[in-house]
Amino acid sequence: MIVANTLFTRVVRNSPYLLIALLVVPVLGGLLGVLLPAFGWFPALGAHEFGLFGFVQLFQTPGIERMVLLSFGTSLASTLLAFIITILILASYFNSPWLKRIQRLLGPILVIPHAAAAIAIGFLITPSGFLSRLVSPWFTGWDTPPDWLLPHDPYGLSIIFGLTLKELPFLLLIALGVLAQPEIGKTLRAQHKVASSLGYCPMTGFFKVILPSLYGYMRLPLLAVLAYSSASVEIPLILGPNTPPTLAVAIMQWFSDVDLSLRIKASSGAILQILITLSLLGSWWLLELLVKKCSAAFLINGEREYGGMLIKRLTDMITIAMLTIIGLALVAMVLWSFAGFWSFPDILPQQLVSLHWSSALLQMQTPLFNTLVIAISTTLIAIALTLLVLEAEQQNTKTISAISGFIIYLPLLIPSIAFLFGIVWLFEQVNSQHAYVNVVFSHLLFVLPYVFLSLANSYRRLDPRFSSVAASLGVPPSKIFWKLKLPLLISPILIASALGLAISFSQYLPTLLSGAGRINTITTEAVTLANGASRRTSAVYALMQMLLPALFFILAWAVPKLLFRKKG
Amino acid sequence: MKSPSTLTHNIPSLNISHLQLKQQGTPLLSLNEEVKGGEVLTIMGPSGSGKSTLLNWLVGMLPSDFTATGELYLNGQDITNTASHLRHIGLLYQDPLLFPHLTVAGNIAFAMPKGDKQTRRDEISEALNQVGLAGMEKRCPQHLSGGQQARVALLRVLLSKPKAILLDEPFSKLDSQLRQETRQLVFEQIQRYSLPAVMVTHDQSDAIAAQGKVITLDTLSLNEVAS
Repeated sequence: MIVANTLFTRVVRNSPYLLIALLVVPVLGGLLGVLLPAFGWFPALGAHEFGLFGFVQLFQTPGIERMVLLSFGTSLASTLLAFIITILILASYFNSPWLKRIQRLLGPILVIPHAAAAIAIGFLITPSGFLSRLVSPWFTGWDTPPDWLLPHDPYGLSIIFGLTLKELPFLLLIALGVLAQPEIGKTLRAQHKVASSLGYCPMTGFFKVILPSLYGYMRLPLLAVLAYSSASVEIPLILGPNTPPTLAVAIMQWFSDVDLSLRIKASSGAILQILITLSLLGSWWLLELLVKKCSAAFLINGEREYGGMLIKRLTDMITIAMLTIIGLALVAMVLWSFAGFWSFPDILPQQLVSLHWSSALLQMQTPLFNTLVIAISTTLIAIALTLLVLEAEQQNTKTISAISGFIIYLPLLIPSIAFLFGIVWLFEQVNSQHAYVNVVFSHLLFVLPYVFLSLANSYRRLDPRFSSVAASLGVPPSKIFWKLKLPLLISPILIASALGLAISFSQYLPTLLSGAGRINTITTEAVTLANGASRRTSAVYALMQMLLPALFFILAWAVPKLLFRKKG
Repeated sequence: MKSPSTLTHNIPSLNISHLQLKQQGTPLLSLNEEVKGGEVLTIMGPSGSGKSTLLNWLVGMLPSDFTATGELYLNGQDITNTASHLRHIGLLYQDPLLFPHLTVAGNIAFAMPKGDKQTRRDEISEALNQVGLAGMEKRCPQHLSGGQQARVALLRVLLSKPKAILLDEPFSKLDSQLRQETRQLVFEQIQRYSLPAVMVTHDQSDAIAAQGKVITLDTLSLNEVAS
């Protein structure tokens, strides 16, 4: 497409390079900022010689094997469990209206930050939590909180529980998103019909015909979930064991320690974390090969029925249990936020007070202000850059290259703990003292991929004939962009903005590290309070973490309806 | 027309008895027909006349905003309320809908009843041979031409040993030469296996080639084509 060489077109033309630079430089720079100290080079501490003493220190740490095992095991188990339950739900409700209902119920769970989800689950499973209160004393005979291990159990069961509940809606919605695509969904449903006409019960038809095709579309999100959970910090910090914690939590603690010499060990730990993540991805790939080999005969053996009714009943129970647990966790959190005196084993508090809300709202003015300013700044930049890059695609009449597409998702695939500390080092090298700017920049790395993912489809589906007609009428590209394309895309832009805000609201580690502890947000405060004594105040903060994204999603849904409502 | 109770069970037949299809309370179509083994009942009509809905009812997959009264008998057995996967009614769509994760042989084996592996392999090879696809067992469906895919789809339906077969515009995406060849093959196999068949099509030449009764849904007039 031939365009005039104006300021707008020059900005648009260069925007993809800016996008790539904004993502690649910090991530690779951050990795370098961790790699060099890991191998002994840390001039600030007087370490000028490369060596492996960081790794020696690391492997001499008491409990290091357990840390590695916890990180590996909890991540693999939770991802596998979330995937299996997702598949069971899809198989059981494939052609049923229940699938859409479950989607509507689980959709809002996606925007709940990991920290808030962990706090909510904690309220459920602690010895004096809502679960034990519901069954005491009439069923258990307990009149004091039982002495059980959850949360903070040494086997990571609480972590697995928390990660599974958080990952499951994401995987289910990814699968439903694939099935919602007209061509793919139509073909898969028709193939399921063919399997049924060939005598296969719906469940077996799903496993033998739909799943092998559907899995291909789910693989990348699955790997992203696996990579993320292996280095997740919020859920293990709030629900996991403390001695020892998972490797990611330990690394965070070493980096935050006043003893700066621990930074070398922490950097070595970050490299080990990358290796753990890579080995998890490798293990998943091996699992895929094993399943493919073992299932080859299964697919064509002619067996039509494998106890479909039993599996359906089991899935019904799991689905009800899961939705109940999520519901109870939210109810528990709300109750705690209004609870006065609440002795065990009472199901409801003896008194409901608004004191925690009023004092928390007073305390949280600064964190709330910081949260909103950072999120809005980050999201505005992400939206602007994404729109410019997508406009560049249209001007060049080709989509960004596969490598560029991969780079956009790079910050999601590399464990954040592995490069965030390096980014802090980069900020120090360029003498960037502005905490807000540093935090916005680090949030951008995580917000940008989701905003791009959210907007790309809608922008690319814009009928190019609108622009052609406008251009033929003498309208310049900048005016077409502002007056034609953006108004047409108001709804997707608002949804992408709400998503970007939600992602920024939920960031814990980037805020903590890039802000050098000087910037408090709702999330950092919530995590601090979750590990402290005030359960009630942490409930308020966790609810705020949920309410903020919910508010903006409601706005994103309502504003276009108000702007474009039919008049008369 | 004989009532289903007087039909002998040895003669294959598909009996649509006093079917009334409604969409959200609005009558869509009525039908009362018997299709004997080897015969093809052709249903024609414009979009929205209920052709696909009829096929959906026949396979037991009527969408929720449609209601139906009437009975369906297959070889004398009432299957009106039988689950879809237990009806033994094969489906041939306009798209071959071969499963991309299985080879040609795998697609056909998928449809076959359980049995000895070698016997199944031999049966598949013989069937492929008969339709001019010898040696293509290990090919991926994506690497076959449209006509080849259509033939594999047909074999897949036939080797599942259906008791009846439904054809949903199966030739509409084929060019005219391929259309003729595939059509001839399909109708020959229907006769050979003595399957009652119902075909939905927009194309008059398909209806003529089927040499069976033709029903046009918009006028509900019966147009018997002279055989």
